[in-house]
Amino acid sequence: MNRVLPATRVHLITWPTLLAWPWGILLTSFVFNLVLFTGIGDDIEGGPQTGGLVSVYIVTMVSAGQSITQFFPFSLGLSVTRRTFYAAVSLLLLGESLLFGVMLYLCKLVERATDGWGISMGFFAPSFLNSDNPVLQILIYMVPFLVLGFFGIFAALVMKRWGISGLYVLSISLLSLLGLPAVLITWQGWWLAVGRWFGDQSALTLFAGWPALLALLLAGAGLLTIRRATT
Amino acid sequence: MSTVVTAQGVTKRFGQTTALDDVSFTLTENTIHGLLGRNGAGKTTLMQILTGQNFATSGELSVLGQHPYENDEVLAGVCFIKESQTYPQNFQVRHALTAARLLFPGWDEEFAAALVDDFQLPLRRQVRKLSRGMLSALGVIIGLAARAPLTFFDEPYLGLDATARQIFYDRLLADYAEHPRTIVLSTHLIDEVSNLIEHVLLIDRGKILLDESAEDLRTELVTVSGPVAAVEQVAANAEELHRERLGNLVRATLRGRFDPVERDRVTGLGLELAPVSLQELVVRLTSTSNGAGNLRTAGKGDPR
Repeated sequence: MNRVLPATRVHLITWPTLLAWPWGILLTSFVFNLVLFTGIGDDIEGGPQTGGLVSVYIVTMVSAGQSITQFFPFSLGLSVTRRTFYAAVSLLLLGESLLFGVMLYLCKLVERATDGWGISMGFFAPSFLNSDNPVLQILIYMVPFLVLGFFGIFAALVMKRWGISGLYVLSISLLSLLGLPAVLITWQGWWLAVGRWFGDQSALTLFAGWPALLALLLAGAGLLTIRRATT
Repeated sequence: MSTVVTAQGVTKRFGQTTALDDVSFTLTENTIHGLLGRNGAGKTTLMQILTGQNFATSGELSVLGQHPYENDEVLAGVCFIKESQTYPQNFQVRHALTAARLLFPGWDEEFAAALVDDFQLPLRRQVRKLSRGMLSALGVIIGLAARAPLTFFDEPYLGLDATARQIFYDRLLADYAEHPRTIVLSTHLIDEVSNLIEHVLLIDRGKILLDESAEDLRTELVTVSGPVAAVEQVAANAEELHRERLGNLVRATLRGRFDPVERDRVTGLGLELAPVSLQELVVRLTSTSNGAGNLRTAGKGDPR
């Protein structure tokens, strides 16, 4: 008997909030960038490239975390197993990422058609995110949603299972995971090589390839964490 | 009648404390069970384990024929309504009901709508803005309309007024008669539910103290009052749970085989015989301060 779909639909009961927050905040960020660069963007070579897009990713991460804090105790209370709940949350995130990826792609098309909203602004497709293939472009948009989403889910589950100290341990682990290589690279004087490596990667491998691997790892970590989590 | 739940030596420890200590019992199909006991006795922990929401430290467990942990097939037939149920923040009452409709295969939408009317629940109000009583009513509605073959109610009516509680009992009984199922009702309002309960499970400090049909309990338990000597004579053949003394007169709560013959003998001795309410029994059995389960220890104080 498959209860994954019903468990997913429970999240969609209040679907407008799933759309309204990320896109409302993205729109706000867009408007501010547009106004700002309309005033000062004239002298930027190649047009202003903004990082405003990151807002929609941050909100998606937070909302993925909330799908745990809000819906995990509720769903478990309504006789959903942890495994089914996790499958439902993952399915939801996958659908959300794909939808958002497509929507961003459509926005990019408009951005291109209007020559960067009339001021050559790269908001939805800043040059470093660009791919000319529609499918690849959608993937480039989509996979970071998955990474951040599964990270939000994993962090919220760590919180559920081990409480606030679990979150601290997670933060320390993350810092070490990022900090130790940084120390090593500095000590060995490898920064130039690292920079070159990143430069050699295409937007696809950098934003979809490696992150896909990371998303998979985070999804697995979440699954292991939820197995013995209690509400 | 067949068995829907079997627990064998179920033990749950939280660090140093033992919440459930070698608990064994069965639940019979299509019966209303009363799971009774004091605060912290282990009732909620037991129900959480039976519904796969928590884990036993050791012991064997079978719910609807299988182990409940992470078992979709079992849990689809189980509904656990608890006082502490939380709802997503932006949920309105109708959203919570939609979720229940999606998740419980036996959900009856019409019945749910009728119950919403009965309890006068505002469908478009946010759940977090409901009063305590209304929040309980929402849980009760979900628990009843889910029509799960195995339904647990854990203190379902915190804050519900007397009228609403009566509605709950009435609807529960009426629906139970039409759609028999196994119900476990955990509550402190024992007198109110004593007519509903067909089987009593009394748990105290993690141990099962009593596991008997309500009918057997009614014949086994009596209050005998009269002169000391005569009461002593009757008490000799029974367990004495409690004794009150007023001058030369004694009133004793006894547990034993009080069949019609024995009852005739008791009244023949000039003693007054009265039934013991379920609530009184629970108070007598669980108010001992030194070690649970010592049935001979007299209770402390009067329940009322």
